[in-house]
Amino acid sequence: MKALLLALCLAACGGPHGIVLWHAYNGDERTAIEVTAAAWNAAHPDQELTLVAVPYDAFADKLSSAIPRGNGPDLFIYPQDRIGDWADAGVLEPIEFWVDDARADRFTDNGLAAMAYHDSLYGLPMTVKSLALYYRTDLVATPPRTTDDLMALVPMMKAKNGFALAYANVDLYGHAPWLHGFGGKIMDDAGHLSIATPEAAAAMTFARDLVTSGAVPKDAEGPLIASLFNEGRAATVMSGPWFMADIAKDKDTGAYSVPWAVTTLPIISATGRPAAPFASAEGILMSARATDKDTAFAVMDFLSSDASAITRAKLAHQVPANPHAFDDPAIAKDAALVVFERQLEHVVTTPKAPGMRAVWTPYRTALGEVLAGRAEPGPRLLAVEREVKSYTEPK
Amino acid sequence: MTGVLQRQLRDFAVAALLAVAIASAAFVVVRNGDVVDAQLELAQRSAHAVASGQEALPTTHVALVGPSQSSTRHPILRHRDIRQLGEAADRHLDKLFYDAALRIDREHKGAFVEMLHDGTGRAIAATTRDHGPMIVVAVTDVAKPAPYPLLVMIGVLGLGALLAAAGALVGRAAARAGTLTGIATLAIPALLWHAWIAATAIILLAAATTILQRAELTDQFSSGMRRHRVALGFLAPVAVAMFVLVAVPFVIGIVLGFYDHHQGTWTYVGLQNFRDILGGGTGGLDDGTNFWFVLGVTVLWTGVNVFFHVTIGVALALVLSRSWLRGKGVFRMLLILPWAIPNYITALIWKGMFQGEYGAVNSLLHAAHLDGVSWFTSWSTAFSANVITNTWLGFPFMMVVALGALETIPKELYEAASVDGASAWQRFRHITLPHLRPALGPAVALGSIWTFNMFNVIFLVSGGKPGDTTNILVTDAYRWAFERGDKYGMAAAYATLIFLILRLLTILGSRLAREKEPA
Repeated sequence: MKALLLALCLAACGGPHGIVLWHAYNGDERTAIEVTAAAWNAAHPDQELTLVAVPYDAFADKLSSAIPRGNGPDLFIYPQDRIGDWADAGVLEPIEFWVDDARADRFTDNGLAAMAYHDSLYGLPMTVKSLALYYRTDLVATPPRTTDDLMALVPMMKAKNGFALAYANVDLYGHAPWLHGFGGKIMDDAGHLSIATPEAAAAMTFARDLVTSGAVPKDAEGPLIASLFNEGRAATVMSGPWFMADIAKDKDTGAYSVPWAVTTLPIISATGRPAAPFASAEGILMSARATDKDTAFAVMDFLSSDASAITRAKLAHQVPANPHAFDDPAIAKDAALVVFERQLEHVVTTPKAPGMRAVWTPYRTALGEVLAGRAEPGPRLLAVEREVKSYTEPK
Repeated sequence: MTGVLQRQLRDFAVAALLAVAIASAAFVVVRNGDVVDAQLELAQRSAHAVASGQEALPTTHVALVGPSQSSTRHPILRHRDIRQLGEAADRHLDKLFYDAALRIDREHKGAFVEMLHDGTGRAIAATTRDHGPMIVVAVTDVAKPAPYPLLVMIGVLGLGALLAAAGALVGRAAARAGTLTGIATLAIPALLWHAWIAATAIILLAAATTILQRAELTDQFSSGMRRHRVALGFLAPVAVAMFVLVAVPFVIGIVLGFYDHHQGTWTYVGLQNFRDILGGGTGGLDDGTNFWFVLGVTVLWTGVNVFFHVTIGVALALVLSRSWLRGKGVFRMLLILPWAIPNYITALIWKGMFQGEYGAVNSLLHAAHLDGVSWFTSWSTAFSANVITNTWLGFPFMMVVALGALETIPKELYEAASVDGASAWQRFRHITLPHLRPALGPAVALGSIWTFNMFNVIFLVSGGKPGDTTNILVTDAYRWAFERGDKYGMAAAYATLIFLILRLLTILGSRLAREKEPA
């Protein structure tokens, strides 16, 4: 077998070919990464960096199948949640060898921690994304500080045939702020499932009450949430930095045609704890089969530098994982970026353990059933935990 | 005489081609195996030599790697001292040394040796030192595999051809002995490389060729090939494509059903996947992950859809076949349109139209002063949404088939029936339907298979909502593969079961069709 592998390797071995980077960016984020890549290429004409845009839906599966066969990119940009899975499968190159303290000083601690797994570092963070609370300044005078403040908006919005809040409530990612705010979690630090807890049930009950009281629309998803917000039928929206691109703009001037602002998520009145969304760091990662690893790391280093982070923050409103980027006056003035940076004080890093991947769909199914009133939170969460266990344990 | 010689050399050439392929494959495997073994041994010996206080071996690079130390500012970061032995230190190797030491610490095994995965044919070995915390890591130089022994192969080919020809010239039994020894000669290189399996295969090939030659089967085969040369030439590309694109994935799919995939490793589990699936899993009979529940949904889905496809399709075909209808071409084109648009686009459009707040369907209901429906929160409405979408997609096919069949019904039959005083219903029941049946039978069978496996509509319109209850078997198989912890084995077992169910249905279908056919 080994001999056959070697034969294949010898046949497929090619010369140096520059660095290939896969990303799943669109719109402004794509423009920003292209601008920074052009800056690298201008400075290093003999080590060309080629960007390949790959649709997000297919991204992870393409990487998982291409890299172990010696294909795929040298570098790629992806959120941290698959790092555990890919590190265990030998898809990722550990990079702490190249990262000294001076380089690490560049990043926020939770940004860097998100890229680490089992005593190794697997990527350099580029941006940390979490949810925050968008609100219509014409409908909400003072941003809600607690969930009670939020509920106080219900009568006014009901009169307008609208909702106090719109968020992706059947999705675990959207539901996570309540889950953590009530003290629940998905897994403990060692990666053991901790799904069926009284806290998690309380969070689910809260989410169901939001629906039954008419405070939020049921089964809301991205496009619907944006429409409700833009039409003034949702006073607030819980979403991430990407939501700015969905807010209505004037066709001619390109300025926002809707008055809005963003603030940190409210405190859960029932527990007195802040709602804590998942924080997901997007980083630049290296394939274990990269051909020229030293150059590949140089590209990672360049793309995660303060200067590149500033470019991305300016062009694409990406919240930098580099605290010094906020020294730039233009970024310090960007109120939305500053709020998202502040929200990072109350977040839970999306678990990196391989088992996490099996959690999303069953949890989503359970949320859907509970919010529709077809199941009770407690027993339903127990079923989720059982189901996830059956997927993550070997036969 | 030349005929005999020609025939002998022809048989030899065909067998020799196969034998050379076998011998060459054996050479590559054995040669690479030897290189790998030599490289692994070299790396290991060099590392052990340094670990026990001796010099590193030539053509290897060895380093002493210190224990990992956490950075004070960033505890996540760990670093190690790397000291390369020998004069010319190659700094590009430091990363390899570092990673090897990391692996030694992580796996707690004390030593490992393996080939690097970068295709250079280098081996790496690491071991802990007898004294002290240092880890010794050795990397070999790039491997230099032995070249292909072209001259040896030409030599044995020549010798073999000579033996075969000599046998043919002597004639009769000697000819067959010539074939046997001539081809068997080609096993010599494989014997030299100790490739016993390849050598045995070549000798068996020689024996088989001799037997076939004696039974004159090689002659028959050769003349058959010559006679159908053109047909075989045309068939070959399709045969290859079918083999690569259908047969190979099919076999792999069936085999995977007997394995469990867990975090990158495959374990043979026998029939466990099938037992788990047919046992229904952890949930009850109303659970969306229970095979029997999903099968029930799938059968209902197929039945309801095919019913609507056929009734709507035939009804429209009957209208379109009326002679008084104006603008037939336009109507026909418009009605075929749903079929012409890629079905995933149609599915996404319908999904948007079923959207609760802004969807076109609810807007129409609102306009008619009716309450909007939350389509994907209850089973019946979600299932209906799927069925509506797929009916839209499926009726044009039945319509086209029915239209074609209607054209073939002789007008005289209707005229005769009218003269006999048959009603419209009687004419439909006793003339139209029997004539439609031969065409609709296979169309219904095909339509059932398509609908049974209609991944796009289920996945894109309801997506299994609410709560995984509107999945059909094929979308559930997808979820096993990509949403439930990469259980590819379960997905493959599902696919095998789907195949078996459909195979059974088609066998039953064709039986029924045959029985109903007028004798």
